[in-house]
Amino acid sequence: MALETTSVGSFPKPAYLKKARTQFEKGEIGARELDELGRRSTAAWIRFQEEIGIDVLVDGEQYRGDMVAYFAENLEGTTISGLVRSYGNRYYKKPVVVDELARPEPITVAWWRFAQGLTDRPVKGMLTGPYTMMDWSFNEYYPSREDCALAFAKVVRQEARDLVAAGAKVVQIDEPALSTREDELPLVVKALGEVTRDLDAKTITHTCYGNYERIYPAMLDLPVDQIDLEMSNSGLDLLALFRKHPFTKELAFGVIDVHSHVVETKPQVEERIRGALEVVPPERLWVDPDCGLKTRTPEEARDKLRAMVAARNAVRERLQA
Amino acid sequence: MVRATVVGSYPRVDDSFDGQRLRRAIARREKGEISREELRTAEVSVVQEVVREQSELGVDVATDGQVTWHDALSHFAAKLDGFEITGLVRYFDTNTYYRQPRRIGSVRWRGAITVDDWKAAAAASPVPVKAVVTGPYTLAELSANGSGRDAVRELAVALGQEVRALVAAGARHVQIDEPALVHSKALPRGYAEAADLLLAGKGSAETSLFTYFGGVAPILRDLLELPFDVLGLDLVQGSDTLAALRTVDANRGVAFGLVDARNTKLEDSRRVAEQVLGFEDRVPLERSYVAPSNGLEYLPRGKAREKVRVLVAAAKAVREAL
Repeated sequence: MALETTSVGSFPKPAYLKKARTQFEKGEIGARELDELGRRSTAAWIRFQEEIGIDVLVDGEQYRGDMVAYFAENLEGTTISGLVRSYGNRYYKKPVVVDELARPEPITVAWWRFAQGLTDRPVKGMLTGPYTMMDWSFNEYYPSREDCALAFAKVVRQEARDLVAAGAKVVQIDEPALSTREDELPLVVKALGEVTRDLDAKTITHTCYGNYERIYPAMLDLPVDQIDLEMSNSGLDLLALFRKHPFTKELAFGVIDVHSHVVETKPQVEERIRGALEVVPPERLWVDPDCGLKTRTPEEARDKLRAMVAARNAVRERLQA
Repeated sequence: MVRATVVGSYPRVDDSFDGQRLRRAIARREKGEISREELRTAEVSVVQEVVREQSELGVDVATDGQVTWHDALSHFAAKLDGFEITGLVRYFDTNTYYRQPRRIGSVRWRGAITVDDWKAAAAASPVPVKAVVTGPYTLAELSANGSGRDAVRELAVALGQEVRALVAAGARHVQIDEPALVHSKALPRGYAEAADLLLAGKGSAETSLFTYFGGVAPILRDLLELPFDVLGLDLVQGSDTLAALRTVDANRGVAFGLVDARNTKLEDSRRVAEQVLGFEDRVPLERSYVAPSNGLEYLPRGKAREKVRVLVAAAKAVREAL
């Protein structure tokens, strides 16, 4: 099969789930009630992805908040900091590594099992990568950034292996921080390699907001089968880069702008897919949104995904003709 | 005498309800629920709070904390002729973003950009308040469509008028931030001339040039030729500058950025003081500062306070040792 469609990870949470999460934080409802609603919206997203014909599914991360804090909160050896500014008027709390990292029990496996139990299509296991966990945390315990990243790699590896043992055929390990320090790309490769080594699954890494010009083609050393890049947001400049030096892995190509309320038209998306086909053959090209869709409304997210699948179908038909 | 200072930014919120009043005011202003004047009241109250907090902690030369800045680039470019402001771009290797300026014409200074905030801070501060201006090289390099020698020169003239306005308003300390220099293998051509233009209106104010997010070993000697009174160095991420600093005779003060402003782990103030004292024969310490490695807003407010306590204690220990 060529041109598989998939998603990067998160989907918007429906209003009832957002409300329940706030109630849970205030202690007004218990974990069981919250989980029940999380399962309801996960099931709805699985159904939707099947209905519109997406090939490789995600659980939509309805039970997660921040992609780094979610894992840090479920590990031993971390606390959460006070508020730090992200940009503009946005603030977040960062994990603080204060002791040796350990994973007391599987974190995402039960949710993955639940989602995979609802469908015959593959559901991706979704993890945050060790380099990003390190770069987006404060480190008060390990002597160096490398030591800290490799300690995260150890626990992320345990989680990845448990997902594969549970039956996951595809595991995505996100590294959005990978291009922030070009001189540390070897550390990303090493830490991610600890996670993917001998892992019996297709492996993917997703990244975004990168200065890829500075790390390409070295980026092709990343020890994964597929690299997932946001492209519609950063323009199609990367394609020029790939023309100069061929992209040798599978490429998941972001064709949907997750930061815009405007739903792409089918012809717009078709054009982006055709652009990618100029540099990667169809059997190595996957199609997905730029990034997680959690900041869009549920309706915008659904419409954007529909446009993506419709465009993929049109391009595929033309290829077969 | 060695003094304690900060590099520029200071956390503008804390975890308390009152500590987030600026955040709420901005959100309400965006929804049109409060007036521009009401937002300004909130801004001034936080500017004055952070400057008082710094002086209470023992900082000798404070800043307004840059609490009204969206980022170090668009804060200036939006108020200069010749730029439009475009989308978000990652700011160096941080997990923060700036609104990228795009150069669309001749750059010209229209009027004061930072003077009102400086005045508000100075009015509330028991200690001198240092004015901070993003440098012409960094503004040119991080903008779209606007780098190169001529662009830097034009920006130096425009930002030089901002320096002049700050000094006219009463600023006795002016800091120029050039983090983009840490990526240079050589001093950018024409930078010395740009620095002269930038400082033409400085009068008798003390001027400093700050670099951060990395080291400046290859250009340290060139930086020491520039007409600034103090050179601010990031000696944490740029620890390679330490060795270079041992090979020169610094003919001016150094702001020793030895307290890591990007990690919550606390330094030992005695160890920081020892590192500074190690440069006694190389650097005129009486004109120098102990500083964080870069702006403090990458830390939560409580940790920023603790870091300031460390650098204040280190400065005191250096003074006592001398």
